[in-house]
Amino acid sequence: MKVSFTLNGEAITADVEPRTSLADLVRGEHRCTSVHLGCEHGVCGACTVLIDGKIARSCITLAVALDGTAVTTLEGFEGDALMDRLREAFRAHHGLQCGYCTPGMLITAHDLIRRKGALSEAALRQGLAGNICRCTGYAGIVAAVAAAMDEHGDTARAAAIAAE
Amino acid sequence: MSLTSAPPALAAVTAPRPGCIGDRVLRNEDGRFLAGHGEYLADLDVPGTREIAFLRSPVAHARIRAIAIPEGAEGRVFLLKDLGDIHPVRAVLTSPGFRGSDYPALAADTVRFVGEPIAICLGATRAEAEDLAQEIVVDFDELPPVVEIEQALDPASPSLHGWPDNICFVSTPGGGDLDAAAKAAAVTVSREFRMARQCVVSLEGRGVMAWWDRRLQELVVYSSTQQPHVIRTVLAKLIGVPEHQLRVVAPDVGGGFGVKNNLQQEEVAIAALARRLKFPIRWTEDRREHLIASPQAREHRVRLTAHADAQGRILGLEAEAVVNAGAYSIWPWSAAMEANMVAGILTGPYAIEAYRGRGVTVVSNKAPLGPYRGVGRPSACFTLERLVDEIARAVGREPHAVRIDNMVRPEQMPYRTVTGKLFDSGDYAESVRQAAAMIDVPAVRARQTRENGKGPRFIGLGFASYTEQTAHGTDEWIARGLTEVFGYETATVRFTPDGKLIIEAAIQNHGQGLETTLAQVAAEELGVDPADVVVRHGDTAVSPYGMGTFASRSMVMAGGAVGRASRQLAEKVKRIAAHLLQVKPDEVTLAGNCAVAGARSVPLKSVTDAAFLHPENLPAGEEPCLDETTTFQPLSGTGAFAYATHAVVVAVDTGTGLVEILEYAVAHDCGTMVNPMIVEGQVQGGVAQGIGNALLEESPYDSGGQPLASTFADYLVPGAPEVPTVRIAHLETPSPFTAYGIKGMGEGGAIAAPAAILNAVNDALRPLGVELNETPITPKRILTALHDARTERAR
Repeated sequence: MKVSFTLNGEAITADVEPRTSLADLVRGEHRCTSVHLGCEHGVCGACTVLIDGKIARSCITLAVALDGTAVTTLEGFEGDALMDRLREAFRAHHGLQCGYCTPGMLITAHDLIRRKGALSEAALRQGLAGNICRCTGYAGIVAAVAAAMDEHGDTARAAAIAAE
Repeated sequence: MSLTSAPPALAAVTAPRPGCIGDRVLRNEDGRFLAGHGEYLADLDVPGTREIAFLRSPVAHARIRAIAIPEGAEGRVFLLKDLGDIHPVRAVLTSPGFRGSDYPALAADTVRFVGEPIAICLGATRAEAEDLAQEIVVDFDELPPVVEIEQALDPASPSLHGWPDNICFVSTPGGGDLDAAAKAAAVTVSREFRMARQCVVSLEGRGVMAWWDRRLQELVVYSSTQQPHVIRTVLAKLIGVPEHQLRVVAPDVGGGFGVKNNLQQEEVAIAALARRLKFPIRWTEDRREHLIASPQAREHRVRLTAHADAQGRILGLEAEAVVNAGAYSIWPWSAAMEANMVAGILTGPYAIEAYRGRGVTVVSNKAPLGPYRGVGRPSACFTLERLVDEIARAVGREPHAVRIDNMVRPEQMPYRTVTGKLFDSGDYAESVRQAAAMIDVPAVRARQTRENGKGPRFIGLGFASYTEQTAHGTDEWIARGLTEVFGYETATVRFTPDGKLIIEAAIQNHGQGLETTLAQVAAEELGVDPADVVVRHGDTAVSPYGMGTFASRSMVMAGGAVGRASRQLAEKVKRIAAHLLQVKPDEVTLAGNCAVAGARSVPLKSVTDAAFLHPENLPAGEEPCLDETTTFQPLSGTGAFAYATHAVVVAVDTGTGLVEILEYAVAHDCGTMVNPMIVEGQVQGGVAQGIGNALLEESPYDSGGQPLASTFADYLVPGAPEVPTVRIAHLETPSPFTAYGIKGMGEGGAIAAPAAILNAVNDALRPLGVELNETPITPKRILTALHDARTERAR
C-alpha cells in the first residue's frame, strides 16, 4: 500500500505492507536508527516519535495510517534550541548510561517542557512514566529535564520581557 | 594472603587533578547517544542481510517426534542437523560431584523449557521469517514438567537429564564450631525466605549477526555481548572454526546486567549457520523472547538459622540455599553459580566465626538461570539482613546497632572470612553510622509513633549492609571450579603520530562510562586531555585478549591494565622528551598535553613526531613508536571488597497494599573513585533494579511450565515515579590489592535494596502482626498477609 507523509521535513512516499509499523519503516530504508525498539508493544517508550507534533509510539503505529502526517524522529531535531539544551543537560547530569532509552526520553522530555512549561518533580516523573530506563534509576534524567525546564522557562520569560 | 602478581606500583590518588582519577569528568560517549547515533546490533546495515526468527518450543517438556517443514522452504529453515558438525554446550564445574548435561544449539530430540530454540527461519524481514516459523509443524510427545523447587527436590519427579534425580550440585562451605555456637547462644532465630525468579531486562534485547568474510577468510560474529573475546574462544571450540579465523564484535550494547555475560545458544546456532551461507544473517531478540527465553535470574529458597548472644552478636549461622537453575547449565558459569555464591557469602560483612552452609542447585523445565546484577548476593543479603532484623527484635535492640556490633572491624583487615574470602580494607560499621545519620533514625521513630495506627498508611524503616566481592581474581575462579579462569585484564595504550592517544581494551562498555574512565586513568599517567582519548573496546580485532565486563571488574582490571601500560609508556615519553629538552628523564613530568621540565616544556605532539616520524631525533638506543600492552591482576585472588549500608523509609498503604519509598540513603565505599559522577549513577541505577526486585519483578510459571509474564504489562519494571533520587555518602578506603586502590562497585546498588525495603515494610507492618519474607512484595502479597494476620488475630 502507498503512503505519503513528511519524515523530518522531507516528503516521502513508501510502499508498505498493511502490517508494517512506523518504526520498522523509518528504521529500515530511511535509516532513522535513533528510533529504538525496546518492547514492540507500546510500553517502554524507546521508539517515541512525534506525529503532527504529538508524541506517539512508532512501534504500534501502522505506517499505512500516516498518510498526510508529519513525522519527526530525533534525527529531525537538528538546530532545535530546546533539544540542544536537553542534550547538554542530559550530559551534565549523567542522564544516560547505555543510551538505548535516550532518544525516546529526549523526545518525551521535549514534549513535556513544550506543553507544560514548569512542573513539580512529582508531575515531571509522572510525565516520564511512559519511558523505561533500565540503567540510570532516573535521577540523572529527572535532574536533566528539570534543569532544561528551568532554563527554558527563563528563556521564555526573557523573550516575553524583550517583546514587551 | 594470596599474591598472584607483583605488588602494583600504582598508589591511591589522594588529590584529584582535573581530568584525572577522582574528577567528575563528563562522558566522552554521550555525544553519539544524545544524537541518536549509537549503533546497536539492529542498526547495523550490511547489504544482503536476511533476518532470523527462531521457532521456539511452546511446551515445557516434550520429546520431538517429527518436524514438518513446509514445501518450498528449503534454504530458509534450518534444524540442528543443518548446522554441520558442532558440539553441544556443556557448561560444567571442575568441582567433584557436579552433574553435567548437554545443551544443544537447537533442540532436536527433547525440549526442556518454553522458548527453547528448535529451528532458524530466514526472511527478508523479521515478519517474513516469523510467518515461515508459524508454518512449521512440530509433533511433540509431551512429558510431565518439573516446575517449582519442591517438585525439583522430589526424587519421584521425572529426571530432566537422566540423572538419578534433578539435583545438579551441592556445595557445603563453612567452618568453625557451629554446635558450640548453638550451645552458647542466648537466642536462636530461624526463617525461610524466597526470592522470585526474575527476568534481566536489558532495554535492548540480545542479538547476533554473522557472515563469512571471503577476503579475510574469517567468520565475523557481531553479538550484543559483554565478553567478545571469551565468546570467540568458546565458539571456536563448539563450531570448529579456529580462533584466528573468528572475529567477535560487540557494537553499542543497550544494557547487559549479566544477561549478555554468557554464551547464548543463539550465538552458537547463528555462527554455525553463517559459516555455511553466502550472506549475512541477523537475529534481533524481541521483548517476548527476552522475557521467556533469555537466561533468567534468582528463584531462591533459603532457610537460615542464626545463634546469637544476648546483645545480638551472631555466634553461628546455618544456611540451606536451594536455587531453581532451570533446564540447562549456562556457559561459562554453570547452573550452580547462584546456589554456590549464596551459600559462599552468606556471612556478609560480619565477623561470624562458625558457619555451616549448603547450596543446592536443582534443574527444572524453566528457562536456564544466568547471571544478573548481584548474582546470588541480592538473595544472600536479603536473607541475612532480614534475619539480622529479627535477631535485633529478639534481643530488643535497634537493628542498625546490632549490625554495627557484628561487623568486621577496621583493625581486623585484611580479614579472612569463614568461607575463605579476604576482606581487604574499610570501616564497615562507619557505613551503618553514616546511613543512620542520613536517614535520621530518631526522627523516623518519632514519626512512626506520631503517625502509625492513625490511618491506613504505616511508616517503616529498614537497613541492609553488604560486602560486594569485585574484580574476582584467579584464586576465586579456581575455587569456584570454573573451566576458564578470568583472573586478569589487558589493555594496549598507543599514541598516534599526531600526538593523540588510543586505548584498546578487551572489556566491553555498555553504559558503565568506560570510554571516559579509562581515558581518565591514561590522563593520570600521561597528562593527556581525557576528552581527546579514543577508547576502543568490544572487538577481538582491535584489542589484545581479555575477559570482558562483568562481576564489577572492568574499572579495577582494565583500569589497572591501562594504568600499568600508561605508566610504562610515560617512562618512554619522558626519555624522549628529556632528550628533546636536554634534561634528565627524572626531571620531566607530563601534564596538559606537554612534557614539562622546570620552565621548559615540549608538546607531546613533538615527542610523538620524533617517536613515529623522526627516529633521528630519538635518544641513542631508543626504539621508535609509542605503544604498550600490559595485563593486570589484583594482588588478592579473591578480589577487592566494596561495601555499603542502605537505609530506607517507606510508607505502606494497608488499604491498597502499595509501598511508597519516602527516603533512600546509601553510605558506600568502593575505594578510590575514578569518577564520582559515574559511581553515583551506578549506585542509583542499581538501587532502581533492587526496587524492582523488592516490589515488582517476578516471572511466574503455571503448573504446566508456561511462563506467565511475557510482556511489560505482566512483567513490571520500575519507572520514574517508583524510584526516588538516592542520597549517597562516599567513604573512600583504598584497596591495598588493586591499582590506585580502586574497588569495583557496579552491582552493589542492586544487592541491598531488596533487603532494606523488605526490612522497612516489615518494620511498618509489625504492629499488625505481619511478616513478609518473600520477594517481590506486590500489593497482592501484602494484602494477603494483612488478611491472614487479621484472621489469625480473630481466632
